[in-house]
Amino acid sequence: MAAPQSNPAITPIVVPNPTRKRFYGKGLPGIDLDSLTGALVVVEGADGSGRSTQIKRLAQWLEASGHATVSVGLKRSGLISEELDHAMEGKLVSARTMSLFYATDFADQLETRILPALRSGSIVLADRYIYTLIARGLVRGLEEEWLHNLYGVALVPDAVFYLRVSPEELIQRTFAKQFELDYWESGMDFTGNRDMFESFLDYQTLIQEQFEHLKGIYGFTILNGHRPVEVLRAQLQRKIEGVLKGRKSTLTLPPTA
Amino acid sequence: MAIEARQSKEKYPGKLIAVEGLDGSGKSTQIRLLHKWFELQGAKVFRTEWNSSEMVKSATRRGKSNEMLTPTTFSLIHATDFADRYERQLVPLLKAGYLVLCDRYVYTAYARDVVRGCSHSWVRGLYAYALNPDITFFFKASLETSLDRILQGRPQLKFFEAGMDLRLSTDIYESFKIFQGKQFEQYLAMSTEFNFTVIDANQRVEVQQEVVRKLIQDQINLPSFIRRQHKRRRR
Repeated sequence: MAAPQSNPAITPIVVPNPTRKRFYGKGLPGIDLDSLTGALVVVEGADGSGRSTQIKRLAQWLEASGHATVSVGLKRSGLISEELDHAMEGKLVSARTMSLFYATDFADQLETRILPALRSGSIVLADRYIYTLIARGLVRGLEEEWLHNLYGVALVPDAVFYLRVSPEELIQRTFAKQFELDYWESGMDFTGNRDMFESFLDYQTLIQEQFEHLKGIYGFTILNGHRPVEVLRAQLQRKIEGVLKGRKSTLTLPPTA
Repeated sequence: MAIEARQSKEKYPGKLIAVEGLDGSGKSTQIRLLHKWFELQGAKVFRTEWNSSEMVKSATRRGKSNEMLTPTTFSLIHATDFADRYERQLVPLLKAGYLVLCDRYVYTAYARDVVRGCSHSWVRGLYAYALNPDITFFFKASLETSLDRILQGRPQLKFFEAGMDLRLSTDIYESFKIFQGKQFEQYLAMSTEFNFTVIDANQRVEVQQEVVRKLIQDQINLPSFIRRQHKRRRR
């Protein structure tokens, strides 16, 4: 168990100071942005980057501090997750179709889960967001402009953290858990390398390069995921405290939005 | 735009023919007759319908029957369907020198999704990678004619088809009429922008088909699409 930084039993509950939300591009029709009084916090990173662990701890800490939290992630919408699973099993989908499948899943969750939660003033913790989807598309040769337009429906989060872990370390962490690499996380659909170990390293390197590139566009925060869990947790917690106090976000919009 | 520039460079030996129009404009009948005509001549031809990808279909059906779709997810699910058919069938077939017939193309999305409130430039951006057809026939029937044809033959309208999600009217027939009317306006506005070949769809089926076949003969060198007979080699 994580030792809480301060004792929630004696810490007064802070009422968050909401900042006005905006969309990345054209946004969704019929949404009153002023009604979104919650906060959206995104944690990005590869499988094995510590993403889920950090999100769990953040949720515990936030709830202990008196904030209602809602967790969302990719591929959890009831609308198309079945078809997406099916498509991935057969591995017969083009990069663009896959990208649109994920975008549909994302938009459905945005409208049916994220926005209602933000409207009710909750803190939404997103286990991955559009950046992973954009990076995967870019690696597979989809046009950047097309992807930025596609995700113009997304809400700009209040904070985005990317946990960067070297591909070699990701492999060690994955094997420590399940002794097996994931087909998609290894980029087996497109690297052309039949050697899964090498394919994983190549693919994760490409994805990280895209994240570096996307940082330049979206202005999110890259954290060194090699640091101990507790150190990272404290770092994230401090930054999120700032968000709750209404500190202005450093996120930027893509030029073509 | 970067995406469009790339598109114009790609020249495929096949030809892409699309039909557009309101429900009840008779466009599907016309493209089926066209398909038959090509087949009888032994041409390499393929016909595809909007919203027909096997992989996406069940999701669309579920989304529609449970009324789970918003304008955005409605738009995206159709864009997914299109991308799947485009990359697995349309492009490879065009490269192989086929006549590809599309019963509805991206213009259907441009019309419907914008009427549903999606941003005009966002919807167009979703399909920015798609080739412009060599010919797009717009079957332009009067709104009354289209409505009559649909409402006579098939009085049971579906929720999204009638645009009930837009709350245009609580009466499903009234909603359908308003929704179709708004799409009609979009089609008219696109007609010059995308150089639609307008067919008077108030005429009889045979008259329209005659016009369509003639226009195609003028613009497409049909003999070049006739399937070559592979001679069987005898041992």
